[in-house]
Amino acid sequence: MVRAVKAKRSGRILFAVFVLALVMGPGPGIWLVNPDPGDPEARRFLFGVPIVYAWAVFWLAVQGVCIVLAFAGGGRGESAGEGGDS
Amino acid sequence: MKFVLFGETAPGPDFGSVALVVLGLYLAALLTLGIVAWRRGRTSEEDYYLAGRGQGVLVSIMTIMATFFSSGAMLGVPGFVYKEGVAFTLFALNLPCAGAVIHLFGSKIRRLGRSRGYVTQGDMIAGYYGDTAPMRLLVALIGFLYVLPYVIMQIKSGGYLAQVMFPGNPDAFARGAMILSGVTIVYVLIGGMRSVAWTDVLQGFLLIGGMILAAVATVVTLGGLGGFFAKVREIDPEGLALPGPSGVYTPWKLMTICVFASIGSLVQPAQWMRMYSARNEQVLKRGALIFSIILPLCFLFGVMLVALAGRAIYPPEMMDGKMVAHPHVGEFDQIVIVMVKEQLPVMLGGLGTVLVAVLLVAVLAASMSTADSNLHALSAVVTRDVYDRFVRPRASETERAWVGRAVIVLATLLALWLVRAGQTNENFAPLKMIASLMFAAIGFSCQLLPVTIDMLYLRRGTRAGAVAGMAAGIVAVFLFTPFPDLLIEKFGEAGKTPVADAVNPLKSLFDIGFTGFVVNAAVFALVSVFTQKLDRDRVAALAKEMDGGVQ
Repeated sequence: MVRAVKAKRSGRILFAVFVLALVMGPGPGIWLVNPDPGDPEARRFLFGVPIVYAWAVFWLAVQGVCIVLAFAGGGRGESAGEGGDS
Repeated sequence: MKFVLFGETAPGPDFGSVALVVLGLYLAALLTLGIVAWRRGRTSEEDYYLAGRGQGVLVSIMTIMATFFSSGAMLGVPGFVYKEGVAFTLFALNLPCAGAVIHLFGSKIRRLGRSRGYVTQGDMIAGYYGDTAPMRLLVALIGFLYVLPYVIMQIKSGGYLAQVMFPGNPDAFARGAMILSGVTIVYVLIGGMRSVAWTDVLQGFLLIGGMILAAVATVVTLGGLGGFFAKVREIDPEGLALPGPSGVYTPWKLMTICVFASIGSLVQPAQWMRMYSARNEQVLKRGALIFSIILPLCFLFGVMLVALAGRAIYPPEMMDGKMVAHPHVGEFDQIVIVMVKEQLPVMLGGLGTVLVAVLLVAVLAASMSTADSNLHALSAVVTRDVYDRFVRPRASETERAWVGRAVIVLATLLALWLVRAGQTNENFAPLKMIASLMFAAIGFSCQLLPVTIDMLYLRRGTRAGAVAGMAAGIVAVFLFTPFPDLLIEKFGEAGKTPVADAVNPLKSLFDIGFTGFVVNAAVFALVSVFTQKLDRDRVAALAKEMDGGVQ
């Protein structure tokens, strides 16, 4: 019972982080780093990589971690009752 | 190493002969897989449509991936990156959303489908809300609106690809389209879902390999990652920021596209059937995990890199105030083919020529894997949701199986006819309309999302609410297609009608599917408040089955 409650809570946290990654990645969060095309001084690269591309890679990694944790937390456990259906 | 200029002769064997051999081997492998799958199958409807609900992890995930990635993934998406610069690389974040959908929806859909013997999504939605004619027909209509344009455009891509592979052959387009259709029909007809899924495994590996191969070739040609990013620094400032050079891709638009393009592509008929056909829950959970990790890498570290280099080497140009592709590229979505076809043979000689042929076959695989899954799903939708319910409710399983096969043949012939007619007459209206409709296809598919979320999680909607919501959503998406203007233009100037005036501002702000979803969900919720609730005991029993209470 306690385990189920914990799993539910961690599932909600992962979902929230996943949504945050969407808002920050392709969503309005991009304004934090998006360079102004009209500003010659704007920072367009991070370690030689286009900053928008680096931003996409970072938030993709966050989403990937959420999915991996969701699988590790729920995916393997729930499959226990499926043994007989193959 | 340096980039050769377009038109320089590459060393190595004749490309046409190599392409013919690689294409022949690929098609022979598909037919062999189709025949082996047919010999392994049984004659039941469940086996034909769902491979006996016994697909394992590899087959399930590869068929979901290959169905998800059409030729658009190999050509269209890189074309957008080439046109819009780094802004469109954020589109790769739609793929973990798709993985999350498989993770969240897959198990519940599979459990209920298995326990109730569902084959189509219409079976499940009508089974939950009540099997009325409007409910069945609306779900079938949404499936149809998604599937048909996709099949047509994949066949068309096959024709175009044949033109690239055999440039000297004047009949290449027609033959390519016919061969793609013919081979696809054969293995879908004989082996059903098992053939489709097994061939999708081969096609999926080709697709993933092709996307990565194209990027490796580009990076190596430019002298490694350092040289690659040095070249990318030459991209114009507009190409390095949002909303991109055309000013279209604002964060709100990109975010809603990421969410709703992925969801719409996974609640469509073919993918829904793949969730039914998974052997167990773990297959889908693992599938979601692999999907979320592998596919974004194929985009962000694969074809998107090729397109970024393409933008630096062959920057698009402005012509009469409109952005066009560099003359060496021709069309935006040809950038990957141009980059690879020019560089690989120079880098690797004869082996490079073979790899180019493999890459072009990978694009063909992307088209075929989407076309076969959608044809197969269309057959199930027409047979189960229309023929079996409204034409001959007492038809035997054998009769339904033959009707399903006839649907596949007729749909392919219709698609081929439209493509051929469009090839001989550029202004052929039906094909132009279908091409426009394709962009709204995912938007239509998104109209199943409110009922899906309600059915799987909320369980507060009513039958009348579901029907009203879907109808309102379809109308909302329809307003974003060119059809209303085509209907109204007789009374005014095309593109400047009241409909265009009303929807264009929304179009530039949000994804079509998202807008339809908002309308659909609002109507669904409102009507559900005032209409008769579903039977509580029945909903509780269904909920228990889909949540794993009954196996």
